[in-house]
Amino acid sequence: MIINGVTIDETFAEAFPMKATRLIITAHNAKWAMISAQAFTGFATSVIACGCEAGIERQLDGSETPDGRPGVSILIFAMGGKGLAKQVETRSGQCVLTSPTSALFSGLESEKNMPLGQNLRYFGDGFQISKMIGGKRYWRIPVMDGEFLAQEKTGVTAAVGGGNFLVLAESQGQALAACEAAIEEMKKIPNVIMPFPGGVVRSGSKVGSKYKALNASTNDAFCPTLKGQTSSDLPAEVESVMEIVIDGLAKEDIDKAMKVGIQAVCKLGSKHGIRRISAGNYGGKLGPFHFHLQEIMK
Amino acid sequence: MSSLIFTLKEATRQRIDCSPLTPNKLADKSLADIAKTQLMTGNLSERADALFIITEGDSESIEFKGSNSKLDFIGHNMTQGKISVDGDVGAYFGIFMEGGELSVKGDSSIYTGCEMKGGQIKVNGDAGDFIGGARPGRRNGMTGGTVIVSGNAGSRTGDHMRRGMILIEGNAGDYCGSRMISGTIAVLGDCGSHLGYAMKRGTILLNQMPSRGITANFNDCGAHTLGYLSLLFSSFKKLDSIFSRIDNFSRVQRYAGDLAGIGMGEILVKI
Repeated sequence: MIINGVTIDETFAEAFPMKATRLIITAHNAKWAMISAQAFTGFATSVIACGCEAGIERQLDGSETPDGRPGVSILIFAMGGKGLAKQVETRSGQCVLTSPTSALFSGLESEKNMPLGQNLRYFGDGFQISKMIGGKRYWRIPVMDGEFLAQEKTGVTAAVGGGNFLVLAESQGQALAACEAAIEEMKKIPNVIMPFPGGVVRSGSKVGSKYKALNASTNDAFCPTLKGQTSSDLPAEVESVMEIVIDGLAKEDIDKAMKVGIQAVCKLGSKHGIRRISAGNYGGKLGPFHFHLQEIMK
Repeated sequence: MSSLIFTLKEATRQRIDCSPLTPNKLADKSLADIAKTQLMTGNLSERADALFIITEGDSESIEFKGSNSKLDFIGHNMTQGKISVDGDVGAYFGIFMEGGELSVKGDSSIYTGCEMKGGQIKVNGDAGDFIGGARPGRRNGMTGGTVIVSGNAGSRTGDHMRRGMILIEGNAGDYCGSRMISGTIAVLGDCGSHLGYAMKRGTILLNQMPSRGITANFNDCGAHTLGYLSLLFSSFKKLDSIFSRIDNFSRVQRYAGDLAGIGMGEILVKI
């Protein structure tokens, strides 16, 4: 398959089941909601070392938030419910509770729930106040700038993590420009995040390493400087490869995000140095979710 | 299908216990069975059709017509459906209620919403003492649901109240929020003496400073903007009440008390 001079490889991205929740952080203004959300989603690029993958889904205006203030919705993914609950609790406690004027709400209704403000309330040292409003419990925790308001629980849902595609370009600058264009479009899709810095990862990994201590190491088949040293998957004219990783609440959400992302890259086309779109997989042995590039782009 | 209607034949000298006449207790019963339902009036047990003209209809929606303040226990243990009353009602309106909607066009007497757990009660007139309270000797009043009073409330509103909301559009009597354990009482009008007497936790939200002031066993915690109030006002929007139309406010003077007890309750006065 070739779109605007860009070859779409006959391969697939392989993704894994994860657990996820959506949180809504509000604040006195959009600036401080964003600061808190950025702190919460910081160091959350990969579950390999961060414990979770998190990102900003979108900004919300006052009409979309529970307390009528500007807010940000964020998605957090982890390999299991317990790990997710731990990450949500520590990040909420250190990055939202501490952030001036913030309030924290669940953004996901689900049959399964996990604590949100339920344990943070103890910071109130006995002065915390519980309020049941509209069938949901909230905690009012006295803090130095007033009150921190947090919903007691948030929903947990099964989700998918690790959808991806690779952009193979003639230069680093062209690969980056293509990925930026893709991220711009992918941000418009609900229920997904691209957890790496700016949504783009330049250090794609393979499973295993020559070093016993490491479970993953550089994806040498896609490293352009190793074209003559390893079993490379890159043609001579490709000088830079970048990857976009996508986590979503459902496979269909990732399908949509991948489609608009690849479309944006292909729109630039071979004229802008984009040669191929590929994807990372482990031979289909590790993850039950397969995203076949050519099927997505049909 | 139209409502199942109970029209009171004549004003009785004795009180009538209407507790068997709720949607959940009459569900799947034929009109003949409903007519045979025994109701206590004074020290006698009478058939329902001896006291009421019964018009067949859907028992999920029950109407009482010609009602007066001698009809007690309407909506007793109600879990579903709707009961509307044309007239006044007696004591224990909605006692132990767990769900559904209960409304009265006129006044209700003492113990409206007594120990209720859920659902909504709307009193379009005045309500008597002990709204949402606990029965004498009991430690827990209402533990859920909403009571709306369009008129004035009697004394001891929310006595021993544990959860839920009581919204008074008019004035509240003396000892409003007495011995309150938790929950929310909101009053648009004035309040009587001894507001929040022996209150442990919970919130009394006032639209104006009570004419008799706040008692000395509540300490002034200053003026604050409380974010949770916007959520509270949003939850009022779906209610059939003036509370759904009042301008939201989050700026309040906060008083903590009753300091003669644990002092974890609060009176919030709009500023």
